[in-house]
Amino acid sequence: MTHSLHREGTLDSLERDLCLFIYPARGFNYAGSSPKVRHLMELVYLAGPSNMIVSTLRRNLYSGVTPDEVLDSVRDGARVYCTFNSREKLKEALIRIKEADEGISVVVSGLIDQIREIANEIGLNPHTINLSLGIHGRTGRLPPPDIRQFITMCGHGMVSPDLVRDVIRKVKTGKLSCWEGSLTLAEPCTCGIYNPHRSAELLKELIPLYTVTRW
Amino acid sequence: MIINREICVGCGRCHPYCPTRAIHFENLKSVVDQDACYECGCCLRVEVCPVDAIEEYPHIYEYPRALRKYFSDPNATHALTEIQGRGTEESKTNDATNRCGPDEVGIAIEVGRPTIGMDLENIQKITRARARAGINEIEPNNPICSMIRDQTTGDLKPELMGERVLSAIIEIQVKRDRLRHVLRTIKKVARKIDSVFCLDVITQLEPGLKVPQEVLDVIESEELSWRPNAKINMGLGRAWE
Repeated sequence: MTHSLHREGTLDSLERDLCLFIYPARGFNYAGSSPKVRHLMELVYLAGPSNMIVSTLRRNLYSGVTPDEVLDSVRDGARVYCTFNSREKLKEALIRIKEADEGISVVVSGLIDQIREIANEIGLNPHTINLSLGIHGRTGRLPPPDIRQFITMCGHGMVSPDLVRDVIRKVKTGKLSCWEGSLTLAEPCTCGIYNPHRSAELLKELIPLYTVTRW
Repeated sequence: MIINREICVGCGRCHPYCPTRAIHFENLKSVVDQDACYECGCCLRVEVCPVDAIEEYPHIYEYPRALRKYFSDPNATHALTEIQGRGTEESKTNDATNRCGPDEVGIAIEVGRPTIGMDLENIQKITRARARAGINEIEPNNPICSMIRDQTTGDLKPELMGERVLSAIIEIQVKRDRLRHVLRTIKKVARKIDSVFCLDVITQLEPGLKVPQEVLDVIESEELSWRPNAKINMGLGRAWE
């Protein structure tokens, strides 16, 4: 589970943070899924995702891997994880995927109202929803909400709060730009849904609010 | 994970990458606290060490230590489910599998996330509460299921106590009329959990991406609320095997 439904942030920020997943189902459409998933991946590439990973390679768009290497790694059962920073790009990807009709499950994670609009516009009839009822238990142990906006973008919790603080310090002291800092934060995320575009926007907003004690 | 003391130059570059703050300085060298480490492999994978001093713990694949890796490293394929990650495919492939039927709901309780991690004893608190409440519809393919020693009491295998993982998911599937009972049970046990947990409800949609009102009513009546973002299966999958 990629945890994408628990991404935190303002509605304005989450509007530009949409994830798309392609999932063959073991025992149902797994065997022979490789060419179909590869085709769907090509279509997603054309729509311009912010980040993307295939489960058989686990290297994100900014790791220096070429599109051909990524596509050639696809095997039966390969799953694709990607994120978009615009509603229109996601819509374009979904239109292409719908036309291709490969029969592989596609999941979109984002604001429910926004996905409802997109589904209506392109004539899709969503099947199942995974609702987040929030975080419970000892929530006082969580890092503050501004840090959680970054760490919840990695579905598997691989972006540590300390790395976010480290990047904030480096951006604040001019050692990294907001974009370079975002790529640093995207690096540990092997599910490929850390959105560096949103992350750079967040860093730009947050940097003036922080003070740095050690230069 | 371990850091080879002979090679480590004590630059500390790996420290901020550890999600659990298990890496610290000891006599000017970086050291991994083996009790705190989840074996997620993040420090090794990012290749930040300038001298390649970070290595896998030699007994990482020995049970029960191996559970740390299976539940914490997103790249590790769980020996039981043969699926990367901690859970099953739940809602993601439901259009092809119909695993969660139209009169059913799935409930996922992911303990430890975001970022806090947990001792497996916390999972036992929930599996015991579930057993006491007579909720037996636990997902059989979820790795947690194989860790339960006694389904009637919810006790986990004793050797697992003390093991730490980044997170683990308990997946339950019940008829819709049992959702209230499950949510109440979770709310009761929440106070005893020494970590955080995310709560999800999975249901099939009505036409037009409409969440069934009876599901929303139960969530609201239990004084819970749903977030504006969700994971939605777009209905494009089908079975052919």
